[in-house]
Order: sequence, then structure tokens, then C-alpha cells
Amino acid sequence: MQDTVLVVGGGPAGLSAAANVTSAGYKAVMVEKEDVLGGAPILSGYAKLVPSGEWASEAIGRMVKRVEDDSSATVHKGAKVEKLDGEAGNFTATLTNGETVQAGSVVLATGFTHFDSINKPEWGFGTYEDVLTTTQVEQMVASGKIACPSDGRVPERVCILLCVGSRDRQIGREWCSKICCTVSANMAMEIKELSPETDVFIYYMDIRTFGLYEDKFYWKSQEEFKTKFVKARIAEVTSSGDGRLLVKGEDTLVKRPIVIPFDMVVHAIGMDPNADNPEISQVFGVGLEKHGFLERAEQYTNTCGTTRKGIYACGAAYGPETIDDSIAQGAAAGGRAVADLHALVQKAG
Amino acid sequence: MAIHEKALIEDERLQQHDELVVDGVDVSGHWNTMIAPRTVRDYDDDFEKKIQGFVGGENVHRCWQCGSCTNSCTMYAQNVQFNPRYWIYLTRLGMKEELVKDKDIIWQCVSCNKCTNICPKDVKPEGVMKALAHWMEEEGITEKAPSTIFDEEFADQIYKTGRIEDSKVMQNFFKKTGQPLVQDWMKTFVFRMMKHIPVKHLMAMGFNTVHTPRTKSWGKTGEVLKNYVREQKEAAHG
Repeated sequence: MQDTVLVVGGGPAGLSAAANVTSAGYKAVMVEKEDVLGGAPILSGYAKLVPSGEWASEAIGRMVKRVEDDSSATVHKGAKVEKLDGEAGNFTATLTNGETVQAGSVVLATGFTHFDSINKPEWGFGTYEDVLTTTQVEQMVASGKIACPSDGRVPERVCILLCVGSRDRQIGREWCSKICCTVSANMAMEIKELSPETDVFIYYMDIRTFGLYEDKFYWKSQEEFKTKFVKARIAEVTSSGDGRLLVKGEDTLVKRPIVIPFDMVVHAIGMDPNADNPEISQVFGVGLEKHGFLERAEQYTNTCGTTRKGIYACGAAYGPETIDDSIAQGAAAGGRAVADLHALVQKAG
Repeated sequence: MAIHEKALIEDERLQQHDELVVDGVDVSGHWNTMIAPRTVRDYDDDFEKKIQGFVGGENVHRCWQCGSCTNSCTMYAQNVQFNPRYWIYLTRLGMKEELVKDKDIIWQCVSCNKCTNICPKDVKPEGVMKALAHWMEEEGITEKAPSTIFDEEFADQIYKTGRIEDSKVMQNFFKKTGQPLVQDWMKTFVFRMMKHIPVKHLMAMGFNTVHTPRTKSWGKTGEVLKNYVREQKEAAHG
């Protein structure tokens, strides 16, 4: 009788799924391709998380510890699933480290890949040292100092460009990455906290700080931290010739072209489908939706389902997702997977 | 529906040349009209703070440009160039030159406060209109309002003597605002006063008009008061 759920991916969603499986009295086997658990918040060195304001290393660290200390959970790091045989109720996974895992059901918590700003060369990433991504500035904030990489000076003026790698048909990314607006508003406040003299501007098409993020992040950054929101989709980032960057675009609210000098330009990068999704699709036999994320099963009665029976998914594997919702979905997917095992127990009598 | 598109080519940006050489090519007579670009080259990061120093402008930084103020505006219904949403944006980014272009209409706000009631972010746009009008007056961008001239005359007399002399305030106010010194309502006023007020009181008034005596023990109070007002102004507006 199968008493094990295979959890693929050790980020917030996978850690949550694994913990839910073991708390229900079953066994979880976690397979993580990187050498550490924690997923994007840990691997990319996020600073304070939205919306809790807790440091990523502490908050996600607790999730990692919970699974690593769990005698019912087995963790394979630096390994991938190479082959999945069998069917719902009786899967056999072969890992790249040579191990095999018997599992009744599978949870895919395979997450996303950060958009690579190199794919939008007109915005200067890779050309100018002082053009950074939100993940890089997260690391800067975590280290406690905001400085221009080119010469180490504290920037007088920073701008954050929203929708980099999101909502852009030119590069085949037709989705909204959901969380970048809130992350950027939060980052504007973090920059201001570290360097009160720095003026922070956010260039936006729309501000999508949904739900309770509205006043907690958007309004707060504007009203208490004096972040300026300018409605313009930037066309180009160039050099001013005197060490600063020029941000060109059209301010659509005054209907005028703008060419504004900045010391630092930050790309609020979006969430791409996990770059491994074609491989994941093949190995697990699950479908991908049109953007390249995992395809959902019928949502209303087969929550957390994929196109293959017995294989569930959660979090950013399905599409851009917040950390909190990834954790909630992970718990739900863990529950669904356990229900499969339980059904097997009943069937066996 | 009203269109509030501004004319994209303002007169001052039209540059006409009788003779013109561009990159060594003589284009006189053919391409002799150029239009200076409208590109915004920089923001004035301190201007918003300046306007926040005027009464009414305190919440201007809260604006998110929804346009509720302009839509509800009494004056916008009269003149589509009257656009509080736009001026608030200019204030936030410090685009002073654009604001000055509308100096002859910003003061026309009638303080109906429909914008204040509708604003979802509690920006108090009516207050911002007043703050902008005061800033322009203070900078000498617009002429002093009659009420300001009156206030100055009033304060001047207080500084000098510790009291005001009504008739002198009125006379000087009329002089400075180019109004006739004797007006019909005054004739009626004086006539009725002579009819109803005791002669002694009238004489005392006449005496005071001529001699403008100081309030008892006024001393240096006027100077001190004047300095205090100047300090307060400086503290508020830099």
C-alpha cells in the first residue's frame, strides 16, 4: 500500500505541500534540483517579503527547517526526477542521483524562472552597470546599502520600471506577473529607509497592488515615503555621458516626451514559466497551457489537478503567484495528494 | 463631450527664420519654420514640498491621477482648460513652467469643494488650487489680489501705530487698487453718520484721522510683531 507523496520542488509551495502530507500522517519525499531548499526567495536572496515584512531568510528558513527536521520527510537535493513510471496510486520515480521513489501521488511545485532582462535590450540591462533588476536590488537591500554598481555612489534618484517581461506581446509575455507592482512599491520604501535622501520614481502603465496590498504598499509608499508614480512606459534607457542614465518615454498624463536623468534604473522583472517546463511536461506527462505554465485540470471539482490523474500542482508552476498564495496552494495540493492515498487505503479495505 | 487637449504647438515654441542653415545646408525659404521640442528634461524634486508649505497644499502628494476632481469641477464645466488633475500632476513633478502658463485661470477656482468631497485619496484639490494661487502671488507671477493689498495696508498701520484708522485703510486701499477715493456708498454712509452719530464722536474721529495717535505703551511692539510675521512666513515658505 502506498503511503508516500512525491513533492517536486523545494520552494514555498513544495515545502508547504510536504509539511501538509506528513502532518496528515503520510510520508513525503521531496526532490529539489538545487543544492538548497527554499526556492526563489532563498536562491535569489530576497530581502523583506511582501506582505509580512519578514526577512526571507527567516520566514522561508522556518519552512525549510520544518521539513528538514521532519522524520516523515525525505529530501533529495541536487536531484531531478528523470523518469516517472506507473500510474495514479502507484508511481515509481527514478531520480538523477540513481535513487527510485515509490509514491501514490505527485505534487509538482516547480515554480517559475525570473524574466531575464537581457531580452529587453532597449532598457539597458547588461549595457549599463547601474541598470539592475528587482532581484539584484533585493540583495542590495538585504546587504543594507543602496549604491550604484558603477562607482559605489549613493543614488540621488532611482526609478523602477514596471512590467519588464510582463504584458509585452513583443517578447511573447502576455501575462501580468501579479506581484511586481507590490514588490516595487515595497522596494521604493526599503530604498527610502536605507537612503532617505534618494528620490524614488515608479514608471507604470497600471498599478496592480491588488487586495490588501493597495493601502499597505501602494498608498503607503506614495503617502509616507513620497514615492512618485509617473504614468509612462519607458521606450529606452541610454547614457547621459556624465555617468548618469537617461530614461526616455512619453508621460501620457501630460502628453509629452520625457528624457529624465537617473542614477539607477531598476527593472521590475516578471515571472516566466519555469525554463524546465518542457522537460517537466515530458517526464511527468502533464500538459502546459498556452504561455508555457502547467495546465490546470477542471478547477471546480479537481482543484490542484493537472492534465494527468494523480499528479497535482501548486504555486507559480501554474502561473505568476504570490508567496503567500503559493504556500496556501501547496497545502491544498498536499491535501489533495493525501486524499488519493487515503482512497487507496479504503479501497484495499 | 468636452475635449481638453491642449494645443500641442504653443506660439512660443514656433521658431521662424528668414535665413536658416542646418548642418551646412541652406534651407532658407523652404524649411524656415522649426518647432522647439516639448520634451520634459528634468523634474524639480523640491517643488511639491514648496506647495505643501502653503495652506491647502499639504495633501498634494497623495494624488494618483484618477481625474475625479476635474470631472466634478464647476469651473471645468465652464472652461475645459481648468483642469485641477493636470495641475496637481505638474505640481508633483515640479513642472513650474507649465503651471505658469495657466496662471490666468488657476485662481478662478470658486471653492465649491465638489472635488474635495469626491477625491478618493483625500487630496483636497480645492486647497491645492488656493495654494497654487498663493504661490503665484508670492512669486510675483500673478498680480496681488485686492484682498492681499487690503491686508498689507491693514498690517502696515498696525505695525506703525498699534491700531487702524478705518478711513485711512480705505483711502490707501482705494489708491493702491486704482479706485475713486470718494464713492457713492461713502457719501450715503457719511450723510447717515452725520444724521445719527453724536457730534462729539464725529469730532474725535476727525481728530484721530488727522493725528493718528499711537496706542498707549505701543513702544517697540510693532517692530517685534513685524519680525514675528516675517519669521513665520520664512519658516512656512523658505
